[in-house]
Amino acid sequence: MAGTARQREGGGIAYLFILPAVLVFTLFYLWPALNTILSSLFTWSILAPWQLADPETWRFAGLDNYAEVLTDGRFWNAAFNTAIWLVLFPILATLLSMVLAIGVWEVGRAARAFRTVLVLPMTVSLTAAGVLWVLVFNPDFGVLPAALGVFGLDGATIDLGPLHLRLSDWLSNPGTLELGFATVNLVNLSAIMPAIWALTGFGVISFTAGLTAISPELIEAARVEGANRFQVARHVIVPQLRAATIIVAVVFVIYALRTFDVVWVTTQGGPGTDSEVVAILLWREALAFFDSPSAGQATAIAVLLSAVMVIGAYPYLRSLLREAPE
Amino acid sequence: MTGVRRFLGGIWWIYALLIVFSILWLIPVMTVLMTAFRPLGEIRDGWWNLGGASFTLDNFIGAWTEADLGSKAINSAIITAFSVAATVAVGSLAAYAFVRLRFSGRGLLYFLLISTMIVPVQIILIPLLPWFRTLGFAEGTWQPFLGMVLVHTAFGLGWAVFMMGSFMAGVPKELTEAGQIDGAGHWGIFSRIILPLALPGIVSFAIIDFVFVWNDLLLGLTLLDADHAPLTVGIANLQSAHLAQQDVISAGALLAILPPLVLFVALNRYYVRGLFSGGVK
Repeated sequence: MAGTARQREGGGIAYLFILPAVLVFTLFYLWPALNTILSSLFTWSILAPWQLADPETWRFAGLDNYAEVLTDGRFWNAAFNTAIWLVLFPILATLLSMVLAIGVWEVGRAARAFRTVLVLPMTVSLTAAGVLWVLVFNPDFGVLPAALGVFGLDGATIDLGPLHLRLSDWLSNPGTLELGFATVNLVNLSAIMPAIWALTGFGVISFTAGLTAISPELIEAARVEGANRFQVARHVIVPQLRAATIIVAVVFVIYALRTFDVVWVTTQGGPGTDSEVVAILLWREALAFFDSPSAGQATAIAVLLSAVMVIGAYPYLRSLLREAPE
Repeated sequence: MTGVRRFLGGIWWIYALLIVFSILWLIPVMTVLMTAFRPLGEIRDGWWNLGGASFTLDNFIGAWTEADLGSKAINSAIITAFSVAATVAVGSLAAYAFVRLRFSGRGLLYFLLISTMIVPVQIILIPLLPWFRTLGFAEGTWQPFLGMVLVHTAFGLGWAVFMMGSFMAGVPKELTEAGQIDGAGHWGIFSRIILPLALPGIVSFAIIDFVFVWNDLLLGLTLLDADHAPLTVGIANLQSAHLAQQDVISAGALLAILPPLVLFVALNRYYVRGLFSGGVK
């Protein structure tokens, strides 16, 4: 009987269940993460790394790596491009997936077919999504230049106040938007587009789940009061989707902040550094040249990026922890 | 009358919107199919010109052999199969401990694991390279695969514990207590009661982890040499070479898209259910 009581409490046996996870997690997550934080305080390169056990490799830099990163124009350029992602991607992708999910839900007939088309890209890797859209942008046989050509707009330039749009060279220079304090390179949009294509499906699925949870009586009551389809959507359906909206937006923000794959295969951060985001800069600082001594700066960028993410997503993290199993 | 009301109520513009976006969403798919299955010379004026269109598998043969994507696809399969298996095995054991057992350090460990769902992978990326050299994972035949599988397992554990844990928590306590009265130990309860009952949840997690690992670019690009690199890296390298080989790249992209897509279509219900347990509640 004593044995049973001990088992119910867990005791020694719990550690056997948790041991493999603790081992793998400590060796291949916790230690590298801690190493990143420590490494950001040293000067080192991938070929001549800083090593905890070998004091000869220690070239202590204090906070120099952070100072260097934060005074580097290239970092702020990358931060600005990431900010463009952070503003445009979650807003466009969340709005679009909400509108499409409500639309699909409203039509009833053929809803399955529409939803399938919109959701399927979700399983496509961002790498492949980028490859597909590079083909769409291709100046010789891409659909976009050809479609614009039908209207005589391929290669046209449009100047609307601060907006200078060039309807060509989608992956190098499709124009700029002058904000006064900074210039938005519209080439970033060419990398954002495939991400919207690939990830909208996630939003559509999430909003569809939210929609099925709305009680039909609520909508029926609004209809009886004479509200039309648009009014019902705006005043009844959208407010009911609040929880789903928050989760979809948070997931999209997390994605936007760490975006790498799709930029890597579409613009590679170029031309120059016009679409270089923080994740690309970090990779290049450490890994483009293995003997580059700026690996310390790359780890400093990784720490800054993670800090922004943890602080920004802290409420979401707390909501996840609240769901902890009893 | 109702027909007119319906028309004015605006169902038609919803259809119009959905049709426009469905076409937009299908354009990249049509593009990649046409580019992959037709000779490159034929589509120079646009793949939508179907006059004299011919069908070829040469691009797939070229992608598999000359562009060496065949060996990359095999690498992807090895990495993905072992990573998913390891994550499910290690993660389900841990999830059981979190759901049904008490042990010291439980709260801290749970917090750390769940944090990995938010903290970007970049926080572990750079030191992993020298770490792989120290552990002997940087070169060899199977060593780099082992290292990669362990990294994917560590990175997937947070999701594994969160998702599989929520399914295990759904197994009625009465059932496991009945098992205890029959004298089953925790291993017996885990393997004979919890695992079979939480199987749908485990399948959901396995599919999501499969898609995640198979689609990874950043870890593969950073940690693996050309002999062990996954398909995504092979495609990204072809793409950045800036050569006129859209036909081969398209064929390669289709190879990369197909396995997760097939899994998604075949096990759609599990996939969607998994997404909702994982943060979308």
